[in-house]
Amino acid sequence: MISLVVVSHSRALARAAVALAAEMSPEDGPRLEVAAGLDEETTGTDAVAIAEALGRADDASEGAGVLVLVDLGSAVLSTEMALEMIDPEVAGRVRVSPAPLVEGLVAATVAAGTGADLATCALEARRGLDAKTSHLGDTPDPAEPVAGGGTGDATDDEEPGEWAGVEVSVTGEHGLHARPAARLVSTAAAASPGTRVRVRNVTTGTGPVDALSLSGVATLGARQGHVLGVEATGDRADEVLRQIEQLAATAFGDEPGPAQPLADDDAPAPSVSEEPGVAGSGLEAAMGPAVLDRTVPDPDDVVAGSEQEEQDRLDAAVADALDALEQLSARARRHLGDGQAEVFEAHAALLRDPELLGDVARRISAGQAAALAWQDAVQEVAGRFEALPDAYLQERAQDVRSIGERVMRVLLDVGEAEALGEGVLVVDELDPALAISLDAGAIRGVVTRQGGALGHGVLIARARGLPVLTGAGARADVAAGTLIAFDARAGRLEIDPAPEVQTAFSQMLERRAAERQQALADTHLPVVTRDGARVTVKANVSSVATARLGAGLGAEGSGLVRTEAVFAQWHRAPTVDQQVEVYSAIAQAFDPHAVTIRTWDVGGDKPLDFIPIEEETNPFLGVRGIRAFREDPSLLLDQLEALCRVARGQRLNVLFPMVTSLDDVDWARARLQEAARRVGLSAPPHQLGVGIMVEVPAVAVRLARLAHGLDVISIGSNDLSQYTLAAERGNPHVAAWSDGLDPAVLQLIRLICDRAPEGVVVSLCGELASDPDVAGLLVGLGVRELSAAPSAVPTIKARLRAGSLRGMQDLAASAVTARDAAAVRDLLALHA
Amino acid sequence: MADLTAFQSWIAACSESITAHADDLTELDRAIGDADHGSNMRRGMTACAALAEQEDFSSIDAYLKKVGMTLVSTVGGASGPLYGTFFLRLAGPLAASEDVGAREFGQALRAGVEGIVARGKAEAGDKTMYDAFSPALDAFESTAGSGSELAEALRAAADAAAQGRDATEPMVARKGRASYLGERSAGHQDPGATSATLLIEAAAKTLS
Repeated sequence: MISLVVVSHSRALARAAVALAAEMSPEDGPRLEVAAGLDEETTGTDAVAIAEALGRADDASEGAGVLVLVDLGSAVLSTEMALEMIDPEVAGRVRVSPAPLVEGLVAATVAAGTGADLATCALEARRGLDAKTSHLGDTPDPAEPVAGGGTGDATDDEEPGEWAGVEVSVTGEHGLHARPAARLVSTAAAASPGTRVRVRNVTTGTGPVDALSLSGVATLGARQGHVLGVEATGDRADEVLRQIEQLAATAFGDEPGPAQPLADDDAPAPSVSEEPGVAGSGLEAAMGPAVLDRTVPDPDDVVAGSEQEEQDRLDAAVADALDALEQLSARARRHLGDGQAEVFEAHAALLRDPELLGDVARRISAGQAAALAWQDAVQEVAGRFEALPDAYLQERAQDVRSIGERVMRVLLDVGEAEALGEGVLVVDELDPALAISLDAGAIRGVVTRQGGALGHGVLIARARGLPVLTGAGARADVAAGTLIAFDARAGRLEIDPAPEVQTAFSQMLERRAAERQQALADTHLPVVTRDGARVTVKANVSSVATARLGAGLGAEGSGLVRTEAVFAQWHRAPTVDQQVEVYSAIAQAFDPHAVTIRTWDVGGDKPLDFIPIEEETNPFLGVRGIRAFREDPSLLLDQLEALCRVARGQRLNVLFPMVTSLDDVDWARARLQEAARRVGLSAPPHQLGVGIMVEVPAVAVRLARLAHGLDVISIGSNDLSQYTLAAERGNPHVAAWSDGLDPAVLQLIRLICDRAPEGVVVSLCGELASDPDVAGLLVGLGVRELSAAPSAVPTIKARLRAGSLRGMQDLAASAVTARDAAAVRDLLALHA
Repeated sequence: MADLTAFQSWIAACSESITAHADDLTELDRAIGDADHGSNMRRGMTACAALAEQEDFSSIDAYLKKVGMTLVSTVGGASGPLYGTFFLRLAGPLAASEDVGAREFGQALRAGVEGIVARGKAEAGDKTMYDAFSPALDAFESTAGSGSELAEALRAAADAAAQGRDATEPMVARKGRASYLGERSAGHQDPGATSATLLIEAAAKTLS
């Protein structure tokens, strides 16, 4: 790997430039030497120091070469002088770049980090200014090719005619991965065939490739920060270039803008869809004969027909597969939103790739059968993805294999995985295509051998209400037709159960189904206990989609909007405007009920890219929640400003997490006041209630003082349990001590309800509130507002309606004096 | 004829003169550059003047090379490599000399001035130190060529340098920081040509 030397008048400038460049390069990136300033303060350049730096850089580069970036005047002269002073053999391996220092250094460092040679790095450095030039619309000398030279393939000369060109930057986190690449391909395809578009990666010097070739575009290895040279020729050249520029401005549609959390405009709540085959049972349990995913046989023994026959066969199969993908895409869009649909659109773009199809055609004309030709060509493309240095792009090989299999099924006439029969599907991993396309009327549940509960396919299935048991391992290695029963709630799997077990399972399923049906039917009715007590059941929300789901399931508002979860995928802090859009949408979903929005709750186990928290030995007792903003409240102020703006039109509460002291409360209220002034108000809007999370025992003990003057408090039972019991919730070794039903926790909850000042609403939003068996106990302790997982809302409402406040209070009185959590569970079972 | 002691006197005189004019040089540089020429040159020449006391030199060329390297490492601005090159190249033709006459110094001066041209890629009229060095070299060579002694040739060179220096005032800078000013650099005497003249004037006073 080549080394770099920065020669500058100022040592501080050189070091800062090196630090900036080092951010762009991997840890084992190129050696960056500095020869700058006469000493720390005195500006100037010193040829002797430069000569020494060149020597060190040359040693580190092991003969690969040294590129020197210089600033002004004497930096150039001193460098030239240094070159005369050093061993001419070493000097022969040194190049001095005329590039602007910062831009050139960054470009060259990135290139060097990829292992590019000296000439390429020098070229990259020279082009360091290109991105800025193009961004500012400073038209370069028209005589200069847009992205000429370099190590790119020399196909430029093959194409006579007028090529217009633009340069665009790749700004998306994962570079030009499959979906952004697919959008680029579709944009280019829209102007085809009259207009041709080609793309090259200016930064790495790869390409050009045909913009219609997704695999070609993806193999440009365009990562974040790279510059693409896009050229077009034909009647719509200018138009398509403009469209591509617009596309690039949104990180090729990948920019996490306000569109993303709001993408699912149709509020897909597939778990309650009335369309046949869409909604799963929602019972989190299923029983039925094992259905196995049929594997595709090897096409090795396929005999080839004539070239024409084989080509026709392939064309037909590809057309079939494209049809199927289009249907899947439409289905995904209807039930799950645009984000999921794009997975299938990207697959379709891969399938239309002229390069891939051309390769298959060549193989067929060489005498191969269509199936074999297809298999080989797909493997080659997948292999090319796997060879890419970027882990994210490597995984795209799966997409290629997925479309490969889809076409192969048609070619070999093997049934679609989606039409499998009736029963419990057993798969290694549940891929998203299968998860969206499963007929819920036939497949009652899914058991996966591998993979956790958070896989993409599993989440889709869950959203549809399909029962899924994950990670069953070898126990799920069963013959097709074997009876399988599982209960995901209890994590229980029965293979070929005895008749009495079958009976018990059937009864349990019937019970759950009846309860769910009743609960769903009544879920929009308010909860009034048999003896007339009113309880509010709200939903915990982590996205606009879950807000709509919760509202659809009868939640009367949200008692907890986890803003850190809403923006968990974001790498940059959302702007005030973006937050306003998202919070408004969530509030709108629950209108006319109020929603309670918690400010960024970071730290502990909840990382957010845009709010860095220093690593701590004991993060749960460290800088968490509101503590994270004491030093720099700017992001909190932005959020509070957004809430003040939303609260002008909608009913909101703001909730401050991890409050411990009176000072925390005062500080938080002062920030809210500050945010209100930002939007031109003298005080926070009346519609904006103010509250704190009660999750630290210290707050529970001093509640009367701390909650004075607040509108709402919300008991975070998860953290309250772990802080009360001194046992971390995620640590399996202390699971026995961290049970939220421990009588000590229950006593604290009762204490909180008793001590809350008059007029302050007491809500509970932890996991306890999502357990239908526990809801009554909480109400008995004095909680009048529960905020639960959306899917649990109907059942909780039904249970509370069926009970009496008196009975719940009796239950609570017994529970707080019970021996331990296990004894509390026995009590719950008795009352159920 | 000039021996090692004479050359050391020259450098000491350069240091004195530069120090005395440091503020003027900086003022000139303030008008068209970054206002550091005086302090840069003072720092460099002071370090050079101290060399004679710090070290025993075996020859004139070894001494001048050390002066060159010292300037390279201590001046900081563009004059560092330029004057550094001048003294390093100056040393070359004097390698075998213990006592330098007009002919040898002429060769050395030519090498030194060519070094400045090679380093700075300046041409006459670019408003640089070359606009003082170039007429100085011409004057030295023509005077020495007609049989004059070193001292006389150096006096002619110093006069020519001063004229060349004065002639930089209306010029538009095309090199260095001053070139960023373009037309606005006209009307100011070039600081590099000024310091170059001081150096040659010091030589005229010390080398004979």
